[in-house]
Amino acid sequence: MSTKSRDFFGERPLPTFEVDSQLLHRRTRRDLLLFGAGTVAALAGARSLLPHALRVALHIDDEVAESLYSPRRMVPTYTKSQITQLKNNYNGATPDPSYIPGWHVTLDGLASGVSVALDIRNLMTRFSIHEQITRLVCVEGWSAVAWWAGLRFDDLLRAYPPASQARWVRVESSVNLDASGNPDPYYVSIDLATARHPQTLLATHLNGQPLTVEHGAPLRLMVPVKLGLKNVKAITRLTYVAQEPRDYWAERGYSHYDGI
Amino acid sequence: MSRATTPCPEAISTSMPSKQPGVLVTRRHHLLVRWSHWLNVPILLGLILSGISIYWASPIYQHKPDPITGNFDLAADIGIWICDHVPGLHRYSSPPDWVYNHMGLGPGMLAVALRLHWLCAYAFMLNGAAYVAGLIAGGGWRGLLPRRTDLFDALRMFRYYIGFPLAKLVRRQWPHPSSNTKYNALQRAAYFTIPIAGLLSVTTGWAIHKPMQFHSLAAIFGGFDATRVWHFWLMWVFILFVVPHLILVFADGWDTLRGMITGWSARVMRPEVTADEH
Repeated sequence: MSTKSRDFFGERPLPTFEVDSQLLHRRTRRDLLLFGAGTVAALAGARSLLPHALRVALHIDDEVAESLYSPRRMVPTYTKSQITQLKNNYNGATPDPSYIPGWHVTLDGLASGVSVALDIRNLMTRFSIHEQITRLVCVEGWSAVAWWAGLRFDDLLRAYPPASQARWVRVESSVNLDASGNPDPYYVSIDLATARHPQTLLATHLNGQPLTVEHGAPLRLMVPVKLGLKNVKAITRLTYVAQEPRDYWAERGYSHYDGI
Repeated sequence: MSRATTPCPEAISTSMPSKQPGVLVTRRHHLLVRWSHWLNVPILLGLILSGISIYWASPIYQHKPDPITGNFDLAADIGIWICDHVPGLHRYSSPPDWVYNHMGLGPGMLAVALRLHWLCAYAFMLNGAAYVAGLIAGGGWRGLLPRRTDLFDALRMFRYYIGFPLAKLVRRQWPHPSSNTKYNALQRAAYFTIPIAGLLSVTTGWAIHKPMQFHSLAAIFGGFDATRVWHFWLMWVFILFVVPHLILVFADGWDTLRGMITGWSARVMRPEVTADEH
């Protein structure tokens, strides 16, 4: 190290000056009082301001997440040897598989103005099937690498275009149950920009096998750029809307956007 | 905190002497350093409390479920152990939740914990920027840089701290190792480490918060799961820093604490000045 750089990085003597001892005393007292008043004001203000501040922080974080999203940025893909166990994380009871034989998905809010019902055979024969091994990340903190196959959401959007003013899709499962096994319809909001991401699938297969009831047979959303809670199992309805639709977990205090 | 009442050092040194006996003071901490220092107290408290409740939702340290209780969480085991062994806690209603109730917001608080974590995390980043700005504006960053003699000096300080209580007990003289720098080597190591730990906490936090958009960031730390472990242990760096930090500030005396509130210190290598402060 040269002398010059040592001078630059070297510690300098602290600025020292002489003051009236009265002045030191007064300044200490003034700053202590200010410090105490600031602490009391912060504690008093926290009570009324904190709920608002928490909402604002969540909103800012959603805005940040949305600005980070790019339709061209792909999520990492893995090899088959990196696949991990994927647990059934149904929030309530796992539905009885009796809904599967008569299952179809209803599309609403289309440009054509009519509703369309598609069964699993329609979907699997009319659309090309894509495979990907990606990581599913849960809001709880765990994650799993799994091998998915299904049609691209984007392909469905092209085949059945939504109404021109639509910006969102409400993804719903009417077969969802609560913890005691009672019907508890599950619905999330997905922005159409995310739905059009090339890695956003409407998955039909997991690990080379048709989806089991635990993993949302016969059709689930697989949107790796969102938290797991947006990856709706056993989708029964897709509704395209202009305004942000309701979201099951946002109503329970979680984020709306959930972009990761 | 107006600067107007702060006498300009040059002006004072030329207009001496005044009627009262003067006191030598140094300007020890920049205003931004002091403000960000104190703001770190609620921010870090919020981050740790919410962080522990986030940890609860999916603990990093798990074992095979206990055949009787079904418990798989090491933190729950620690709670059970504490309630078994600490007098007065035998009748605690939910021993597996003891850690989460006392170090966090409690179990089952994920939604509110996440919101509090984001609020405090954004505040922590802004506060960290203010701290760095204060270090640069006040030139304080130079006093934090490690030096070549630090290892030996740190051992000397360590010996001093370890021996100090013993020496007090046997009423022996135990002189403080001499030092002509703002901080001794142990302080320097701590105050140099903490901003780095802060930066790493923010980096690992973003990597696990946005594991798809920032997947290359998580890869630096060994992937998503490994980054969660980093983030967890970085919290402990702060906890392990704060404990001796508090003990030593109070052991060191009023002038050190006042320095972080007013910015001024009357400890200017002139023992008689500090003596009448107590």
